[in-house]
Amino acid sequence: MAASIKAPPSSSSRIFPTLPRPQPLSPFKPARFTASPSPTRQLRSTISCTLVRDSAVRMDAPAQSRRPDSFGRFGSFGGKYVPETLMHALSQLESAFHALAGDDDFQKELDGILKDYVGRESPLYFAERLTEHYKRPNGEGPHIYLKREDLNHTGAHKINNAVAQALLAKRLGKNRIIAETGAGQHGVATATVCARFGLQCIIYMGAQDMERQALNVFRMRLLGAEVRPVHSGTATLKDATSEAIRDWVTNVETTHYILGSVAGPHPYPVMVREFHAVIGKETRRQAFEKWGGKPEVLVACVGGGSNAMGLFHEFVDDKEVRLIGVEAAGFGLDSGKHAATLTKGEVGVLHGAMSYLLQDEDGQIVEPHSISAGLDYPGVGPEHSFLKDIGRAEYYSCTDEEAMEAFKRLSRLEGIIPALETSHALAFLEKLCPTLPDGAKVVLNCSGRGDKDVQTAIKYLQV
Amino acid sequence: MASNIKSDLFLTNKTSFACARQSIPSVTRAASNGFVAARAMKSGTEALNLERPLRRIEFDAVTRRGSGGKFGIYGGKYVPETLMSCLGKLEAEFNFVLHDAEFQAELATALRDYVGRETPLYFAERLTDHYKNENGEGPDIYLKREDLNHCGAHKMNNAIAQAMIARRMGRQRVVAATGAGQHGIATAAACAKLSLDCTIFMGSEDMEKQASNVFLIKLLGAQVTQVEGSFKDASSEAIRQWVNDLEGSYYLTGTVVGPHPCPSMVREFQSIIGRETRRQAMERWGGRPDVVVACIGSGSNALGIFHEFIGDEGVRLVGVEAAGFGLNSGRHAATLATGHVGVYHGAMSYLMQDQEGQVLGAHSVGVGLQYPGVGPELSFLKDTGRAEFYTVTDKEALNAYQLLSRLEGIIPAMEAAHAFAYLDKLCPTLPDSTKVVVNCSGRGDKDAPMFFQHQPTLNA
Repeated sequence: MAASIKAPPSSSSRIFPTLPRPQPLSPFKPARFTASPSPTRQLRSTISCTLVRDSAVRMDAPAQSRRPDSFGRFGSFGGKYVPETLMHALSQLESAFHALAGDDDFQKELDGILKDYVGRESPLYFAERLTEHYKRPNGEGPHIYLKREDLNHTGAHKINNAVAQALLAKRLGKNRIIAETGAGQHGVATATVCARFGLQCIIYMGAQDMERQALNVFRMRLLGAEVRPVHSGTATLKDATSEAIRDWVTNVETTHYILGSVAGPHPYPVMVREFHAVIGKETRRQAFEKWGGKPEVLVACVGGGSNAMGLFHEFVDDKEVRLIGVEAAGFGLDSGKHAATLTKGEVGVLHGAMSYLLQDEDGQIVEPHSISAGLDYPGVGPEHSFLKDIGRAEYYSCTDEEAMEAFKRLSRLEGIIPALETSHALAFLEKLCPTLPDGAKVVLNCSGRGDKDVQTAIKYLQV
Repeated sequence: MASNIKSDLFLTNKTSFACARQSIPSVTRAASNGFVAARAMKSGTEALNLERPLRRIEFDAVTRRGSGGKFGIYGGKYVPETLMSCLGKLEAEFNFVLHDAEFQAELATALRDYVGRETPLYFAERLTDHYKNENGEGPDIYLKREDLNHCGAHKMNNAIAQAMIARRMGRQRVVAATGAGQHGIATAAACAKLSLDCTIFMGSEDMEKQASNVFLIKLLGAQVTQVEGSFKDASSEAIRQWVNDLEGSYYLTGTVVGPHPCPSMVREFQSIIGRETRRQAMERWGGRPDVVVACIGSGSNALGIFHEFIGDEGVRLVGVEAAGFGLNSGRHAATLATGHVGVYHGAMSYLMQDQEGQVLGAHSVGVGLQYPGVGPELSFLKDTGRAEFYTVTDKEALNAYQLLSRLEGIIPAMEAAHAFAYLDKLCPTLPDSTKVVVNCSGRGDKDAPMFFQHQPTLNA
């Protein structure tokens, strides 16, 4: 059946048949969806589903509440686009994950570690000077609170998930851990928990990234991990991820793969989300203690999407709470050098899941750019793609320059140096606050601290 | 004896007050205010004994310590007249806020929401196993996680409280001196939060080695003023600046040295560490710690955890200083181990000094331990035998830095690594299940480049 394009050719409209899962593809290459649906394409299915960029249609509650469904799908996103060799490991992981959700001993052990090792709960901090800064001339403005994930051990939210997955791996009897890392933060978090639990740890890192992040490489080795350089492709994060997956396929009996974000094949998106959901749960309780209500707006930066899902998840069913994700616009959305997947991407399959991703006309992955390495990912978690399409969450982007301004601003006003990733969320306050009514409660996920970004900042700011 | 204003404003030690080991009461106490009448007392040349056996603790003396700014003979206010009234005002303000419910509530909120307290008391399972003997016996090792504080060290406990005092007193400008930069960063952050102008004085030698920290301090909105020399020169310059502007500026001291009320103030604000530890220990194992271990530069993190337990006879207090290249190398910072009593930066205390009473430079791989003096209260605890003091070398500290990283995934500050290094000697002597609490006073990301230099071929 001929497909009709509902938007100009440069936009993202694509037609996707609701066929059963395509032929098992190599997880290392994204599925190729041809640019223009040619009239000669014969679609066997008689049902076609048009996905437009801005969905005006809100899906009703029943579909929305199954996040994900039993196939690991969030609407049409997510899934398990992996070779057969990995299917068993993923099912095993899924069963273990569900079993542990109900296991009190596991929960107690995890809670103990989150408290004593990671340092939870993290405070919900009223940013008085930042709030003052955004007051309008008549003295009105929102109240800005920061969820202080920067205070966690290792300095970011990443450890919440790393710690839980390491415990999970031990339960599964797997003593060998692998992970991929871009800038090194997830690598450091993984190396940290492996040291803590006495697990063997191998981190895959692009050779180019290793050069730029020598200090993080050193930290991982100090913590006892082996860092393996990846030279294929562009020698960056996506290549490291592919190599890690390759390792996993080969060693799946003994090895657990700690994926760092809510991306990847089912059950990773839901697992990583659940392990970060503590952020939102604490926030709900702290908000109630502080002002007797719920937050009105939640703001978080989005790279793969884990810190955002961690904060949002608790509130997805609270319709009056706005969910705002902020991606990296790099040098600008029109420059071609950015990482704004949800704004400029198109649907495809990457690293085992269907989601938005930055791809060119041939379906090749576009190398993203952001001054913040943690947002420098060409994909995004499938659940974010879903929340965007149903209109439950809103996604914007901020440039490198805006992020650096926000980086300086929070340091100067509150004495908190945020991670460059987090700075993107902070930068969005410039546009957001003028639109909010007086006293609106905004909670921003301060997902990490910025000590790691000193060298980048020195170069950029020439202070 | 007029002090030369061009050099340190606080009287430095012009003569040595040698303290014979057993004869504390026999040292004639000089006047505690104004200028000191110098009485040269040359002692025997033996170094003070390290492994001093614990004597019967004179609790009266111990609990009465700190009154009037004196800890036995230590402490005091060895400053020029110009500073006396200022210190008096500071002391009055400090005493007021100690009991002011509003200040305490505001401080508690700041400590909880801004600094991230309370910090956990973490059971270090793998470290504990490491120190078990062949029978599987050994002490239980807990870490007090001051590394998890905002800015990564215990320094913030004091910086935020004093910045609040400065604001209360209506002082718009805060000055402080920093060595490695940690106190500078904490002060700059606290001032940013409380909208105070902040100037940090830093020695040129330190600024070269800590360029990242200099940048962070500026990023936080503070000014950095370079002073020729090292920390002690930066301190003097900061104090000079303060004296020039006593009405408008506030000198934020980072540690338990200086004239009264500085040591007591800083100790008071750091003592939250020990208070939390007591409660957490009770919750965890229904008792108190048996041994508390902390590193000692000038002594703020140590006093912070010790203070709560000083009156508990059953709790051993162990301080670990930096032996650098070795106590006989002349390149170390082991003030209590090798120093003699003198007056430095306004207080009487142990001090690393030569035969002529000139202050010696200190060295340690843990830059925050590089101070030739030590808090007067610690000198007192040493002499009364209430606390024990030992030393570890640079090499031992570097090994401990790596060991804790490997075993627990916690990279300690190089300063704190000295405390961990002492566990090697301590643990074999402790009975099974002894509860040991080590103050993990800071995180060690800042020390990674330097460790890299020492261990460039580190392999996984």
